[in-house]
Parts: sequence; structure tokens; C-alpha cells
Amino acid sequence: MPLLETRDLSKHFDGLAAVNRVDLTVEEGEIVGLIGPNGAGKTTCFNLLSGFLRPTAGTIRFDGADITGLRSHRIVKRGLVRTFQHTTLFQEMTALENVLLGLHLHSRKGLGQVLFSRRPFPRAEIHHSREVLQFVGLSAHLDQPAKNLPHGHQRILGIAMALAARPRLLLLDEPVTGMNLDESGRVMALVKTIRDRGTTILLVEHNMKAVMGTCERIVVLNFGQKLAEGTPAEVSTNPNVIEAYLGAGLEHARG
Amino acid sequence: MLRRIATPALLVVVLGLAVLVPWLGDYYVHVFALVFINVLLAASLRPSLTCGQLNIGHSAFMCVGAYASALLAKHFAVPFELSLLSGALLATVVGLAVGYPSLRLRGVYFAMVTVAFVEVVRLVAAIWVSLTRGNSGLSGIPKPNLLGMILTTKASQYYLIVFVTVVALVILWKLERSRLGLTWKSIGMADHLAQSLGVNIANYKLLAFMVGCFFAGVAGALYAHFIRFLFPPEFGFLVATNILVYNFVGGRDHFVGPIVGAVFLSLLSEPFRGSAYETIFFSIAMLLTILFLPGGLITLPGKLAGLRWGRAASAPTPSPTG
Repeated sequence: MPLLETRDLSKHFDGLAAVNRVDLTVEEGEIVGLIGPNGAGKTTCFNLLSGFLRPTAGTIRFDGADITGLRSHRIVKRGLVRTFQHTTLFQEMTALENVLLGLHLHSRKGLGQVLFSRRPFPRAEIHHSREVLQFVGLSAHLDQPAKNLPHGHQRILGIAMALAARPRLLLLDEPVTGMNLDESGRVMALVKTIRDRGTTILLVEHNMKAVMGTCERIVVLNFGQKLAEGTPAEVSTNPNVIEAYLGAGLEHARG
Repeated sequence: MLRRIATPALLVVVLGLAVLVPWLGDYYVHVFALVFINVLLAASLRPSLTCGQLNIGHSAFMCVGAYASALLAKHFAVPFELSLLSGALLATVVGLAVGYPSLRLRGVYFAMVTVAFVEVVRLVAAIWVSLTRGNSGLSGIPKPNLLGMILTTKASQYYLIVFVTVVALVILWKLERSRLGLTWKSIGMADHLAQSLGVNIANYKLLAFMVGCFFAGVAGALYAHFIRFLFPPEFGFLVATNILVYNFVGGRDHFVGPIVGAVFLSLLSEPFRGSAYETIFFSIAMLLTILFLPGGLITLPGKLAGLRWGRAASAPTPSPTG
């Protein structure tokens, strides 16, 4: 049984089919890439999967259960967590506070904890948040306001927050956008480590080198429809894909 | 390091001064009792504001708490502790009824609902004459009693108000620095991100709103048994905006902001209390703050220090004094 499975997933905006009858499956333990030209429906797909948009038609099954149309916080509770395309953090808060918020679902929230404890947060939660920051390599910055971090670190902090929510499936929306070669290499290595620790990954990314080097399977969208699916080698030699979108970009990626 | 000593020291000084007020005479007892009630109102609006909800209806919940507590004490001789709690709980329930349907509204739309609600409550208090005596005002409200002892002097009633306010502030502070407060803050900063981490933002906004209503109800009950006369127009739109202005003028980035704002504005506006000049005064205070201290009064010490030390470094502060 696949971890994530969509059937005929569709989203129409005033007659425009942003996502049109997409069947998508993600097996447990995979790293799957979702690619396609601008406007192909990748981010809309993510918004549907994570409950930020309701599908017009079709179903989404996660871990065997139908999650179509559930509100986003309920979907997170089931272990499907997303990040955002544009760097989205709680800018005025420290890195540690950002990750503490990621722990939301796994935290103690009793009134006794609030009123009678001397510490604002239980020691275990602080400890766990520090561990997450250490894992992603940000432990040197935990007391810095998120807005003061360099762009690359901000993107990684976004991933750290999602990780703190303990996802079974992590949706990464353009995790290496705006990064230099060195930074994107490090993030893709991090993505692999996250997978090796038991989190399945579905990612949208424009950086072909990163996608081809990391993903085991790639799904190509074009005009809201699935155009092709396969291993990086299969996809990159698929004539339809090359014609629709990759073209020069792929030649470039091959070096 | 300095802050560690400075904060408790400042607290002790402020509370010490508060204790000394009755020696100044009954007039000052009256003034400062109202100052503390305003502090409580301002601080209780903060959770809602932190979530990004522009609530211009806080005086309505104060009104509910005030009338509920007053009527219970007057007609059923309910002890003060219980009538205060009932007033606060009723305000919370009313808050739930108003907040639940209007939660999905954002920004101005939510603000409009709260404004409308202030008028609804004021009109109900004015029209339901058999219960509230309407615009003739509700008089004969019993003095507060504690454990069966009636607090007859104004000074003792003042101390009661100080005590309840301080307890409420401690609770509000604890809430703010806990995970609950951080979650509220996160909703105010980026609600979709909070949602993506599993926060049920509707519930958390409602909770923030209801906490505010509870303490507004407490403030209303304190007011009712101190002034001992309730008059519907005193819970109108202007009072609600004043509570909001305390927050903006004091500063919204820190817990002490609304407290500073309420103390400062209540004392400064005291000569105009009840006159038309009061509104003008609050408008000017709000305008000056927006223009010159967008972060509120609490940023003033930092700005002054910046002017003093930053002159050589020529910090780029747009200062009209040039």
C-alpha cells in the first residue's frame, strides 16, 4: 500500500484546470520529485495535499485513510507536513522558538503547565528542539531572530520546523531555491539523511541538478496534467518531457 | 544582567508607590483605582491583538461583567468573590457566542463586528429597563466584601482592585510566555505557517478572545462594586477604542506596553475625564505615537539612549529635531 495516493486529483479555478486528474503515488521511504514548467500545477498540488486548498474532484489517500478535504491542521496530525516555497518563518522569533512551534502537536498544553510551572517550556521540549537544530546544522544560531539568518539558513530552519512536527511524509516546496551550489548540495544531502531516518519525501524543485541527483522517482506535470513518470534517467530521456519543458535545462544539468 | 535586577526592582517600586496612594487622599484613591482597572482592561486585550485580531469591542465584555456582578450582588446578595467570578464567566460565554461565528473574519471585518457588538450591548443595557434600570443608571450596588467582611473604606476597596489586577496580570503574563502565548504570537505573524505546523488557528484565536473577555469581565465587576453606579453610555464605543489606544500608545511588542500605555494615558487624561476633550486627547496621543514612536512608549528609553550614544555613530534615525 502506498503512503500517499491520489486519484483523479483536480482543482479548477474559474474553469481553469490548475490540476487535472492527476494520479500520484508515493511509496514509504522514497524521495519523489515533482517537476514541471512554471504554472504546471506543482504548488497547487502541494496545497491540495496539505489541505490548504480543497480539490474540485478526486481523492487523496494517506496511509490508507481518505484525507480529501480535511483541514490542514488535521492533515498535519496524521503526519503529512509541508514547507513553503517562499521562505516562511516566524521572522521576529528566535530559531529555537520557531522549532518549538514546530513541536506544537507533540507538546504539553495543560493549564497547570502554563500557570504553575516556573519554566515557560518543559525541559524535554527545549532539548528536543535543540536536537532538531543540531541535526540540520543550525545549533550555533538558536538564539538568533530568524530574520537575521542568511537566506540559506532560513530555508533550512523552515525544514527544521517541519521536522519537529515529526512527519511521515514531508512535502518540500522548492527547498534549494536561491541557494548557491554549495548550499544546495548541503540541503540535498540533508534531505537524503532525513529520508534515511524514516521520513518519506516529496519535493518540488526547479534546480534540475538537485532533483536529478536526489530523487529516485520523478513525476512531471505540464498544464496541470501528469506528463511522465519514472527514474531520473527515464524522465530526462523522455521526448515528451524534453519537448515540454526540460530541453536546454536538461542539457545544462548534464553538463 | 542589568535587566535581571532592573525588572524586579522596577516592579517593587511601582507596587510600593501603588500601596502608598491612599495616603494622598480619597481623590487619588479614586483616580488610581480607575487606573488599575484600565491597566487590567488594556492587558486583557493583548492576547487578541497578539493573534492579529483588531478587537474594538472590549468594553462590551466589561459591561456584561459589571452588570452581571452588580445585579447578582444587589438582588441575590451573592458574595463578591462569587459575583465577580460569575460576571467574568458570563462575559466569557458571551465572548464565545460572539467570537465563534466571527472568527473567520479577518482584519477590518472582525473589527466591525466587535464595534457593532459594543453598540448592541450598550443598547440592551439601556433598553432592558426592568433589569438594568436603563439610562437612569443602576445604583445601590453593594460594596465589595471579602470572606464575608464588607470593605467599607475606599482605601480597602482600592487595595482589593490592586490585588485582583496584579493577580490577573501575573496570569496573563504566564499565559503569554508559555507555549500558548507563543502560539498566539505565531498566528499573528503568519497564520498559514502556524496552520502548517498543526495549529488549529480558529480554536486558538477563540481562546485568546475568550481569555480577554474573562478578564474584561473581571475588570467590569471591580468597576461596578467600586463606583457602585452603572450607566450604559460608560461602556460605549469610546471606552473600547481607549482600551485599544492604551495598547498602541504603550507598545504592542511587549507585555508591559499596554500597562504603561494605560497608566500614562489614564493619568494624563484625568483632567479631561468625562468631557469632550477626552476624545481629542486620546486622538492626539494616538497620532503622536504613530508618527514619532511607532513601537509605542516602551521604545522611548531605547530611542533616547540611541540619541545619546548614537550621535557619534550617526545612527540613521529620522528625527524632526535634526
